[in-house]
Amino acid sequence: MESKEASQVITAPHSGGYSVFLEGPAGAGKTTAAVRRLEHLLHEGVPGDAILVLTPQRTLAEPYQRFLRSQDAPGGSEVTLATLGGLARRAIDLLWPLIAEDAGFRAAERPVFLTLETAQYHMDQVLAPFLEKRYFDSVAIRRNRLASQVIDNLNKAAVVGFPHQEIAARLSQAWTGDPGQPRVYEQVQECASAFRARCLENNLLDFSLQIETFVRHVLPTPEGQSFLFQRYHHLIADNVEEDVPVAHELVTRWLALAESATLVYDWDAGYRAFLGADPQSAYELRKSCRRVIWMERCLVASEELQDLGTRLAPRLRRSASLPAGRGRQALVYASFRFHPQMLDWVADQVSRLVTEEGTPPREVAIVAPYLSDALRFALALRLERYGISAVSHRPSRSLREEEGTRCLLTLTALAHPDWGIAPGPFDVTRMLVQAIDSLDVVRAQQLSRIVYRVRDGRPALTAFQEIAGEAQERITFLLGGRYDELLGWLEAYRQGGASSLDHFISRLFADVLSQAGFGFHRDLDAARVAANLVESFSKFRRAFPRDADQAQIGREYLRMVQQGVVAAQYIEDWQLDGDGVLLAPAYTFLMRNRAADYQFWLDAGSRGWWERPYQPLTHPYVLTRHWPEGKQWTDGDEYQVRQLTMDRLLLGLVRRCRKGIYLGISDLGEQGYEQRGPLLEVFQRMLRHAVQAGRGERDA
Amino acid sequence: MSLPASFAFSQASLQDYVDCPRRFQLRYVERLAWPTPVAEPMLEVEAHLARGLDFHRLVYQHALGLDPATIGESISDAKLAMWWEAYLSHPLELPERRFPEIGVSTSLGGHRLVAQFDLVAAAPGERLVIVDWKTNEGRRPRREWLAKRLQTRVYRYVLAQAGQRFNQGEPVDPSWVEMIYWFAAFPAQPERFGYDPAELEQDRGDLEALVGEIEAAVAQAGSGAAGLAQARGDATCRYCRYASYCEREAGAATADDLEGQADEGAPGAGFDLGLEQVAEVEF
Repeated sequence: MESKEASQVITAPHSGGYSVFLEGPAGAGKTTAAVRRLEHLLHEGVPGDAILVLTPQRTLAEPYQRFLRSQDAPGGSEVTLATLGGLARRAIDLLWPLIAEDAGFRAAERPVFLTLETAQYHMDQVLAPFLEKRYFDSVAIRRNRLASQVIDNLNKAAVVGFPHQEIAARLSQAWTGDPGQPRVYEQVQECASAFRARCLENNLLDFSLQIETFVRHVLPTPEGQSFLFQRYHHLIADNVEEDVPVAHELVTRWLALAESATLVYDWDAGYRAFLGADPQSAYELRKSCRRVIWMERCLVASEELQDLGTRLAPRLRRSASLPAGRGRQALVYASFRFHPQMLDWVADQVSRLVTEEGTPPREVAIVAPYLSDALRFALALRLERYGISAVSHRPSRSLREEEGTRCLLTLTALAHPDWGIAPGPFDVTRMLVQAIDSLDVVRAQQLSRIVYRVRDGRPALTAFQEIAGEAQERITFLLGGRYDELLGWLEAYRQGGASSLDHFISRLFADVLSQAGFGFHRDLDAARVAANLVESFSKFRRAFPRDADQAQIGREYLRMVQQGVVAAQYIEDWQLDGDGVLLAPAYTFLMRNRAADYQFWLDAGSRGWWERPYQPLTHPYVLTRHWPEGKQWTDGDEYQVRQLTMDRLLLGLVRRCRKGIYLGISDLGEQGYEQRGPLLEVFQRMLRHAVQAGRGERDA
Repeated sequence: MSLPASFAFSQASLQDYVDCPRRFQLRYVERLAWPTPVAEPMLEVEAHLARGLDFHRLVYQHALGLDPATIGESISDAKLAMWWEAYLSHPLELPERRFPEIGVSTSLGGHRLVAQFDLVAAAPGERLVIVDWKTNEGRRPRREWLAKRLQTRVYRYVLAQAGQRFNQGEPVDPSWVEMIYWFAAFPAQPERFGYDPAELEQDRGDLEALVGEIEAAVAQAGSGAAGLAQARGDATCRYCRYASYCEREAGAATADDLEGQADEGAPGAGFDLGLEQVAEVEF
């Protein structure tokens, strides 16, 4: 049965501009109430196409999508689930002939919406001449991260709502360290402005330009207002604390025009601050709402866990102790010297929960500040030994980290020797292992040593038939025949003239790799990787004119992947519901907004729980609406922000856990270094207090 | 095995099942990404798909009230310009109230059934018209073939069943429903299908039976090769990206194949070079 507060949200009036601001901690049932509100609206006869559900990212709309696809949803027109970016893109696309000229583009040509990858590519092109002039010499980060941070500044300007020309000034005013840094910010400004000029000149719209065009050129037009405000009379905006100020402004306009609105705000969140999320600006929205409703009781976490969450709160930290009695059951911890020992313990405990206590694997989440390939693999392998499957969520995983991708890219380089990209012998060996079924590393190494040569920078392979008989026997004629089949296909392709890279991979996959005897045959994971690569390049290619040189584009793409610039985040990967144990970085888990019965927190000693990414060219807290002009960013500010961020992270995790948290501690981290991060200190302090409290009880 | 939690049936997924149950399983149940070419030459097919989407966008812009001349200035492709001109010079006689690019769903046999309409034109209490813009090239599809397509049956059924949005919140009389296929290459020869209560009942029964059959088949199926039955091969596989997965040596069809068979009732003819499915999902 729903609470009184939930009922008030669900049955609130749906006419006359009635708006509700619903706030509370995670796990209080706010989204559930908002989904029921949507159901209520539909049952009351509100047309689905008059309702907009706005979320900061698509994954957060899943509860609404699930409802709309259920039997409980009444029939009728479909509800729109959208993000600010999605709305902006859609509106620009449709109203392009009206707004293009005013926005500085050519209306006669279609807009090209850049993905993160293609924006990175164009930024990389912009950076090249500047780097030759020794720009950013004092900054020790990789080129792809240079590009992403300059892009990040443009995005911040757009979503916060200040002119992009002010980036350097804002960053410089807040800077207190090395006197040379403001010069670096000037260089950032120059590159950002050059990128913007390139975009305008070529009808390219990166995310920042999409938002700016939407705000400055679409929204002021009657057609734009009609498309949005006269179409959607009912607004449900969830997780507004994770959205950006420009989205909040849009919501404010909607509040004045809509028949009804329900805004949902999570306390102690704002996990997307590094993307411009602004909980403070979101909280301002409550002033524009007719009614504020609080749902303060967390219904997900057990009382013991809520107690733990309270003890982790900063004001209590100095005197915090571990929960007593039953509360102890909510927290299990174990300390080890070495990292693999901790992983063994985690797998043991998960196995016990699953096999002895009957916990469904999907009710277990293993989170860490970072989830490297090695950690993911090590955990999955250990769980597999217990017969427990795992699903992994790591959206920032780069395509090139996939073995299947490496194989396909090596084959791409070999199929296009004119590109002058020569894979290393080890890459060729790995490619052969992946591409040819049953070919082991030893034989593959032997084969690659014999057949692979680089002449004048051009890679070349020779046929199996042409190698010595003794070597042929060792490799076996069966495997050699498959190699020759692959080679024959590559040669035929070369003679037929190059095609675009996605088409090349599709044909190679269809004609050879997916056939019996080859490595992708019925290998669904490898097929998924190939499909992602095809999709990634296909999008990349569309950022160029249709008559552009395909070879040039392909070569550029290959270079981008090799540099790790390409890191497509595919929605399919996020939607993997699977029944397995979830392995995810802590923030990724939070942004799924799903609870689990048990959570395992790994690497409690890692500073990753506390530190923010190194971003010497931008600043997520200075580039906000709240940073006072002229105020400098001090060590004290940095410390406070880190503490606050960790507090929010821990509370967010606790509130999304139903039964218990397992804390894995290892003295040495994954890389073999000592780990003594602030999260560990918090728990150690709690342990000490618990011991002292125990002594006190005995003495008494 | 079961259908994914958020799965909704559509005319495309039902047609997939009818054409080849295994294809349905791979695409919607296992959500198998299998990146093989569906038709050759790929660039030509891709350009055709893009042009089809562009045309849908132009019509949408028109429905939103943009000036046709302004829209026309944004067209740089000759064939698209020809389609646009055909659209303007062969206006359909339609009711005033227009709902472009709108999705409607209803429940069916314990699941949801979704239709993504290019346009619904409504005169409440009198006439509700579904318009589907077809940008196939080659010959015009025959009426008999269109009548059998699940798109024709599903779209009319969904509008009659859940189209109260277009009838001032009141239930829809099936006899008010009409579906028009408008062909960019044959603008003067639209194909019209009326509807009536008997057809509605027939469609309800058939569609519920089909959904029930799919549900039962999926529940009993194993994964991959142990899954649902495969089509008999030849033409169906020729238009299917999973042909190599199923070890059917079909090879990709050519754009000419697709066009040539467009009115022959071949399994691939409904493919419309994929535009139906692209449009249903994205546009």
